[in-house]
Amino acid sequence: MEKTATFSIAGLTFDWNVVISTLVSMTIVFLLALWTSRKLVMKPAGKSKQNMLEWVIDFTNNIVDGSLPNKTGNSLKFFIFSMFLFIFVGNQLGVAFMVDVGGNTFLNSPTANPLVTMTLALIAITISHFLGVEKQGFKNYFKSVYLSPFSVLFPLNLIEQFTSFLTLGLRLFGNIFAGEMVLSLLWQLAQSAGVISFVPAFLLTIIWQGFSLFIGAIQAFVFVTLTTVYVSEKTE
Amino acid sequence: MFNQIVLAGASEGLALGNMLFVLVAFLVLMLLLKRYAWGPVVKMMEKRAEKVAHDLDTAEEARQQAEEMAAKRSEQLQSARTEANGIVSDAKTAAGKQRDQIVAAAQADAQATKEQASAQIAHERSEAMAGVKGEVADLSVTIAQKIIQKELKLDDQKALIDAYIEGLGNK
Repeated sequence: MEKTATFSIAGLTFDWNVVISTLVSMTIVFLLALWTSRKLVMKPAGKSKQNMLEWVIDFTNNIVDGSLPNKTGNSLKFFIFSMFLFIFVGNQLGVAFMVDVGGNTFLNSPTANPLVTMTLALIAITISHFLGVEKQGFKNYFKSVYLSPFSVLFPLNLIEQFTSFLTLGLRLFGNIFAGEMVLSLLWQLAQSAGVISFVPAFLLTIIWQGFSLFIGAIQAFVFVTLTTVYVSEKTE
Repeated sequence: MFNQIVLAGASEGLALGNMLFVLVAFLVLMLLLKRYAWGPVVKMMEKRAEKVAHDLDTAEEARQQAEEMAAKRSEQLQSARTEANGIVSDAKTAAGKQRDQIVAAAQADAQATKEQASAQIAHERSEAMAGVKGEVADLSVTIAQKIIQKELKLDDQKALIDAYIEGLGNK
């Protein structure tokens, strides 16, 4: 986790870890969505894959409707759906796979990297501010976001906006990073004393993986829910 | 965690490459998802919602129609029953009237026949009586002639004729 292999193109530096993990999770998301959306029918049978996809869509749509039951919410539904799927799959990726070559991590949860989560948070927060301006006009947006309830609180509000961006990204990163950290510690424990440590570490790993699956789902849910809340704060 | 960001930022120019990569990759993912999964599925879901709403409307309409038809039918049934009752009672009255007529006519007929019969009987009896009377008269004349022929002598005959002639002369 600490060291990564990098490569540069046109003066920009890329981590192999970020590139591979992001691409793998996005590919999984896309293939899942593609697989579940083939041969659509008006009335899908009880346990069909179409129902699964529709359940996910309903789930994310309900998250949006929870805080944004209006037109803004409708336009946001697809973004929330994509964001939820990507974060969810990304969170689970590192639970099952972590490829480490020569101390360099190549494949893990993309969301265990602060740059990735901050980028996602940046996208979400930018969208919320953009929609705020688009919905209320710049003047009202500025007034309601930075000068309420009193204009004296402007510095505080400014900090609040910044911290909400920071916490949105860091919360996700912290949870997933900590989960992976514990998993790699358990792997070290398993290696430490042969069979005597391997068996208990194996059992602990199973337990921790189960917990990580849960955490990953919760964090994906929290991220998109907070995104809709931030949008609703700025558009109303 | 801060450390990592700061380190990454310090060493690699704010790690712009990674962030740009994630951003672009996410945009591409969104495009692909919209094109191949979200678009068709949401379209299908909307179509289904529309169909369900439409079907509900149609069902409501059909139910109303059925109710209307049932009401109409029961109304028709009621009126038919009333009509039938009317016809039966009419027929009953008509039959009663006809019966009375027939009975009255029969009675009158019987009366007339009876009267005619008794009149004929009376007539025949009187005719028979008249016939009997005539015969009795003839018989009595014959008997009288026979008696008179036997008893009437010439002188007496003469005296009788004279008396008759005299009577003619007096007249």
